[in-house]
Amino acid sequence: MPSSVFYRSFDRHNRGEGVNAHSTTYCPGCGHGLVQKYLAQAIDELGTQDRTVLISPVGCSVFMYYYFDVGNSQAAHGRAPAVAIGHKTANPGSIVIAYQGDGDLASIGLAEIVSTAQLGIPITVIFVNNAIYGMTGGQMAPTTLLGQHTTTTVEGRGLFAGRPLRMAEMIAGLDGSVYVERVALYDNRRRVHAKRAIKKALGLQVNGKGFAFIEVLSECPVHLGLDPEAAEDWVRDNMVPVFPLGVKKDITDGPNYPPIPSPRFDPDETLQAIGAGTTREARFAHGFAEHLDPEDISLKLAGAGGDGAQTAAMVIARAAINEGFDSTLIPSYGPESRGGTSYADVHVAKHQVLSPAAPRPHVLVAFNAPSLARFGPTVRTGGIVLYDSTVVHAVPSALAAGAIPVPVPLTGAAKDLGTPLVKNVVALGALQAVSKLLPEESFLTALRALLRDKPAMVPVNEEAFRLGAKLALEEH
Amino acid sequence: MTSSLTERPKPFLVPEYCKGCGRCIRSCVKDCFTLGAQINPETGLVPISLDLTNCNSCGLCIDACPEPYGLRLAGEGDEAAERPGHALELVAAPGGIPEPEPWPDQTVALPDRQPLFIKGTYAAALGALLAGCRHVFGYPITPSTEGAELMARVLPTLGGIFLQAVSEVATVNIMYGAGGAGKPCMTFTSSPGFSLMLEGISYMIGSEIPAVFVNVMRGGPGLGNIGPEQSDIKLACRGLGHGNTHAIVLAPASPQEMLDLTMLAFELAFKYRNPVVVLGDGYLGQMTGKVQLPKYMVVPGIPRWAVYGDRSHRGNLICSVELDPELLESHNFRLNEKYEQITSAEQRAELFWCNDADILLLACNTPSQIAKGAVKELRERGHRVGLLRPITLWPFPLDRFRGPLHRAKELVVVEASSGQLEDELRLALSHAGTPTPPRVTHVRRMGGILPSQSEIVDHVAKLEVVP
Repeated sequence: MPSSVFYRSFDRHNRGEGVNAHSTTYCPGCGHGLVQKYLAQAIDELGTQDRTVLISPVGCSVFMYYYFDVGNSQAAHGRAPAVAIGHKTANPGSIVIAYQGDGDLASIGLAEIVSTAQLGIPITVIFVNNAIYGMTGGQMAPTTLLGQHTTTTVEGRGLFAGRPLRMAEMIAGLDGSVYVERVALYDNRRRVHAKRAIKKALGLQVNGKGFAFIEVLSECPVHLGLDPEAAEDWVRDNMVPVFPLGVKKDITDGPNYPPIPSPRFDPDETLQAIGAGTTREARFAHGFAEHLDPEDISLKLAGAGGDGAQTAAMVIARAAINEGFDSTLIPSYGPESRGGTSYADVHVAKHQVLSPAAPRPHVLVAFNAPSLARFGPTVRTGGIVLYDSTVVHAVPSALAAGAIPVPVPLTGAAKDLGTPLVKNVVALGALQAVSKLLPEESFLTALRALLRDKPAMVPVNEEAFRLGAKLALEEH
Repeated sequence: MTSSLTERPKPFLVPEYCKGCGRCIRSCVKDCFTLGAQINPETGLVPISLDLTNCNSCGLCIDACPEPYGLRLAGEGDEAAERPGHALELVAAPGGIPEPEPWPDQTVALPDRQPLFIKGTYAAALGALLAGCRHVFGYPITPSTEGAELMARVLPTLGGIFLQAVSEVATVNIMYGAGGAGKPCMTFTSSPGFSLMLEGISYMIGSEIPAVFVNVMRGGPGLGNIGPEQSDIKLACRGLGHGNTHAIVLAPASPQEMLDLTMLAFELAFKYRNPVVVLGDGYLGQMTGKVQLPKYMVVPGIPRWAVYGDRSHRGNLICSVELDPELLESHNFRLNEKYEQITSAEQRAELFWCNDADILLLACNTPSQIAKGAVKELRERGHRVGLLRPITLWPFPLDRFRGPLHRAKELVVVEASSGQLEDELRLALSHAGTPTPPRVTHVRRMGGILPSQSEIVDHVAKLEVVP
């Protein structure tokens, strides 16, 4: 009686016509059929048919979904372990089997099998190693033996074509695997072993243990140019010395793989996780700062990394949003943000920000001389150029005509407060005082919100803000 | 009941299911098997011949036979009925292939919340979470990384999974698995990473797997740079791997749209069983803006077609192989019908001040925001200018643009690429056989530089429009 895990009729095999309904696509004597019978039997005996997902590879066994009455997913060449991760994480209760040949697993799919084995996710990998490419017609495999003739090593595999790759040993050396065994099919005894190993590997997944890997030395009589009996002998005499049989790793008495989480969809929990607040902060503005622009005010804050330009920009934009206006913030980013110049473009619009860049800002806040030199000339007529007079001593000559310079000793003031880091808040206070972009309380509310997790920092920040305003008004 | 060796069943063989490999011969210590001599007319092969006189029912031959329906134990089925042509009668056996049960999506109302002030990549991540996505896979690449970082932080608090894959190639194939299992899944990537995913996207389209790819485009070709460029319009619209492939391509222009269109992307991906690409640019990805949350969130079910790994979905197959040329052709015809359905139903666009426009700008993503600034400035100077903003790049929303295009005399394509958007426009016009399209000129920047408002204004001011 064939195992019930095989379809009663292979309807996907040439529409199941005639003998196709009960015959595989494999050549006479091919080892794939044996491995798959053992696999079907293991699924049957473990009672996991309903929740099994079988990943078919590219290679001779590409059509496993013709035969196995389980959930079937057919993967791209070499990617079966990646596809298996997808299935296993999508449904941790599923039993996921990646079945791969030597070209698929040990050549094009090396990155996937190595990383998945290291990850250790509980899937079962069946690796069929027959030392040759079958489907494409007898080319060299990564496991082809030295001296072995293939259509791409016509004189026999030499060192120039590399040595055969021992996957079971490699996988056993990775931290994530819990069970690794190499088995063969060439006689009754080996077949009993192979059957037992496959069932054990699958059972480990059922018990949530971890990643299990069974390498099967298999026969490809057609491409070896041997009859099936001679092919069995060839595996025994030639492959086994290079690929020794046996258990390569067994740490199955260790702990189980950690449980794979199950998604939750509670609305409140979701909103909390994404940081959506319920409370509306108080509003203080009585209208848009039309004295700066009727619709859309742009600001540029520029300095060295660590000057706090980005944080100051964030306070302005949050304050504006809280007041019901639209706002955007564009940071300089990437390599630029790792040392060197750091700048941010901010827009505050009555209704909607259109272009988010600030090539010609209404307000420039420059924390150092290079920023002032670079962006000073771009400020529009009547605009405000606020700069740190602690570090910029000469009155800048490069300002656009009509721009109003506002020197404020930002660094000095922050040092006087004993907290050099707050010089950007000194700048915000000065900016608010001279521009009246938004009321003082709008800025302070946004600032407090930003410091929600550091309440001890609030007083010095508020002090810095007020000091900035005072200094700016004295100067201006 | 006791059983002796002789009472155990003996093997039997349907000769049509034997390929005559002879692996059973050496497995049998009683020499029951010999190589056959007669060709079976049904198969053209020579099955082994069987003489069970000495058989002790050890069963080792069955484990040596590579065929599922080859050597079997007698007496557990009606062997006589198991002949080619009679096989289908066995399908109706109890415990046959189950029918998938419906497991629909649900939408849950959300209370009003304060608008958030977040980056474009974060907004896309939140859109995915609210669309019911709890499976995110990816490989870090600037300027899309913040999306993945946010997911890595938030998903564990919602029972979700963020997994950093070994590469973009692995990423897309993990998505193939999770999407094939019927779960909403997504990735954040940027141009070079997107290139690596294209093969997998072709497989997903062939196998009809939904998934969402947020590609925050950057400067190319090659490693290029991490500045904003609209470098992948061609790839997303025309080059999704090998074969007959298309996917809906959404082009957000603000952090708000990064959220809204990512949510829409999941809806469309499952509606059409196809990947959807959300194509942002580096500027938009990094841009922080005001984002209003939607009024609902989605609790996803499991589609009937999914290979979920349970009894209900056991009969399903996710696969892009079809050896039969006629079947593969009809699969492609069916995909084409889907593409046509999408083209007629899913064109999305914004028309900005187009009603009386002589001059139309065409732009998407951040350049469209800059173009809006230019429209406003040009209007103030008395030019009758409007903006066509495609929100779907594929399908190109030509149907939405016909009216304004009919009236306009000039069309200026504004883009941060060497003409990839213009190519989509020209293809659409060509297919539609538009009789007299307006003259097409362009403002283009590349390398991480966006067209500036002043460049657009200067270009338009120089056009000589006859009133």
